[in-house]
Amino acid sequence: MRFRTGPVALATVVLAATVGCSTSPAGSSSPPASPPAAGHHATKLAAATAAAPTSLGQRRAQFEQLLGLHALLAVRLMRAVVAAAPDFVPVASASLQDNTDGLSRLVTDAYGGAQADRFGQLWQRHVTDLLSYARGVAGQDAAAKQTARAALLADAEAYGSWLAGASNGRVRASAAAAGVRMHVQELMTQADVYAARDYATAYRIERQAYEHMFTAGAGLAKASVTPELAVGLDAPPERLRSAFAMLLGEHMELVIAAQRATFAGAPEFQAAAAQVNANTTALTRAMGAIVGPRKAVEFQSAWAQHVEGLMAYTAAVAGNDEAAKATARQNLDAFAARLALYFSDIVRKELPIQPLTRAITAHDRHLTDHVDAYAAKRYDQALRMEREGYLQMLGVANTLVGAIQKTVKPQLPVGGSQTGGGGSAHHRRR
Amino acid sequence: MTWGRLRLAAGAAALVLLVGCSGSGAQDPELSPPARSQDHPANGVDAARGFRSARGYRATPVPVRVDIPRIGVSSALIELGRDADGAVEVPEPFGVAGWYAPGTRPGDPGSAVILGHVDSKRGPAVFYRLRELRRGDEVRVGRADGSVLRFVVERTEQFDKQRFPTDDVYYPTLTPELRLVTCGGLFDHSIGHDRSNIIVFAALRT
Repeated sequence: MRFRTGPVALATVVLAATVGCSTSPAGSSSPPASPPAAGHHATKLAAATAAAPTSLGQRRAQFEQLLGLHALLAVRLMRAVVAAAPDFVPVASASLQDNTDGLSRLVTDAYGGAQADRFGQLWQRHVTDLLSYARGVAGQDAAAKQTARAALLADAEAYGSWLAGASNGRVRASAAAAGVRMHVQELMTQADVYAARDYATAYRIERQAYEHMFTAGAGLAKASVTPELAVGLDAPPERLRSAFAMLLGEHMELVIAAQRATFAGAPEFQAAAAQVNANTTALTRAMGAIVGPRKAVEFQSAWAQHVEGLMAYTAAVAGNDEAAKATARQNLDAFAARLALYFSDIVRKELPIQPLTRAITAHDRHLTDHVDAYAAKRYDQALRMEREGYLQMLGVANTLVGAIQKTVKPQLPVGGSQTGGGGSAHHRRR
Repeated sequence: MTWGRLRLAAGAAALVLLVGCSGSGAQDPELSPPARSQDHPANGVDAARGFRSARGYRATPVPVRVDIPRIGVSSALIELGRDADGAVEVPEPFGVAGWYAPGTRPGDPGSAVILGHVDSKRGPAVFYRLRELRRGDEVRVGRADGSVLRFVVERTEQFDKQRFPTDDVYYPTLTPELRLVTCGGLFDHSIGHDRSNIIVFAALRT
């Protein structure tokens, strides 16, 4: 094991992902879904999300997560427009609006109310222009697309000017605008290729767009403070937290995307599933960086069962196969027990098996309930479930990095290296 | 909070209205959507049934040598751990560099660390010219499987050993990076060591 305490962190991931954390972004004001297994947590989550950030680290985390979610929600709304899914579109647009509200609250906290008003106007226009572009794609209207494209690029310039002013020049307008230009280019391209049924490219770009928004979120947070404080926001523990938040949130969202794609046919499912696997590979490598190669292999095997179990349940739901659903649930329970045993073992029984099993089962329930709701076209519930699960991920990363801080850091080498052999170099350099 | 809820609500209404228009696009000739694969949901079920998660994770090969053309370094690598007092071990031969084996392997997420002496009592050692590295210089790391990774220097800094940036050098992150470490600064004859470390920060060339 690379760092002997890594397993503690892994177990913490599972616990936090499934039973929830108190640290959540200020991005949601709507009451989350209240499935039987998560109702109490949902209430706590709603209260937590109404609270303002209490630290600069949280500010960075919340900007990252809400901007990442913005990219995903925008992608899916644009696709719903392209594919003419009238029942899904209003719910998706409301979810995107909720995200915009959350971002505006964060901007208020970071830059003040006046700047938040300006940001809100800009972001609203950005969203509206993305929709206009999607409508152009849906209508195969080249002129409408061109008009929307020009508007989106103008939005990017306006955003750059806004951030340069709001940050008192700490960020160059051109640099901020470039980031948004990349974002809108990704979203426009994914809509184009999705309409052309190039689902592999569409889902790959979706994942890229999500990841790029984490960079934008970090930039937005760092620009709100002095350069001295910004350095602290980019310290290794913060970077590790950010990376795990991104990967774990991505896992949640890509599974959801694959669940929904199941109802759209094999080509779209396979494209979504490929990104699920890409995330699993990245997550395994990330875990390997903490616990070492041998334990990384064990993690991937356990994680694979988790994901496959969820897909089996999804197939059963989409196929209206009640017997298969029951079997899939039984299998998920077995996988959860096995995962719990694994995690308990690698933390040398410091975490009991039963609470671990319950936590993993609750996590599975979260995603199975999502696909149940989606299949029944209860889209508002499905999206609330999605948001709740996604918001948990920030707490997961915080908990994970907290465990690493406590346990890994004492095992790092102490002090500098004695790589001088007698001072002859010093004499030569004088 | 100063956010204008009323104006947002109006914005939301406008957004829903806009989306609502597009949502009814099936009835609008201008918005006829391109056909998609939704007419084959059964295929999606079959695809989901056949899903197999990513497996086959393989450990990254260990590094076996380092080459830094800009300063004429070409060295095999030995494995290093920690001393009994918790400090990082240093290579025994002065002419050979070593890598911190309990940490990240080069190419994996995180900071891989390669250390080498700046000198011996008899003269320059393997990392004697490390301080000369500048942004853009290339560092090549050869691995046991014969592959070669290329890192690009981002910066070179000197730190007092009493203020060694442990987190920046050893703390796990998820970005594949490289740190090269040697000694520098004034030589303290009272303790027989240099007072500072020279650290080169490099990123994997993608």
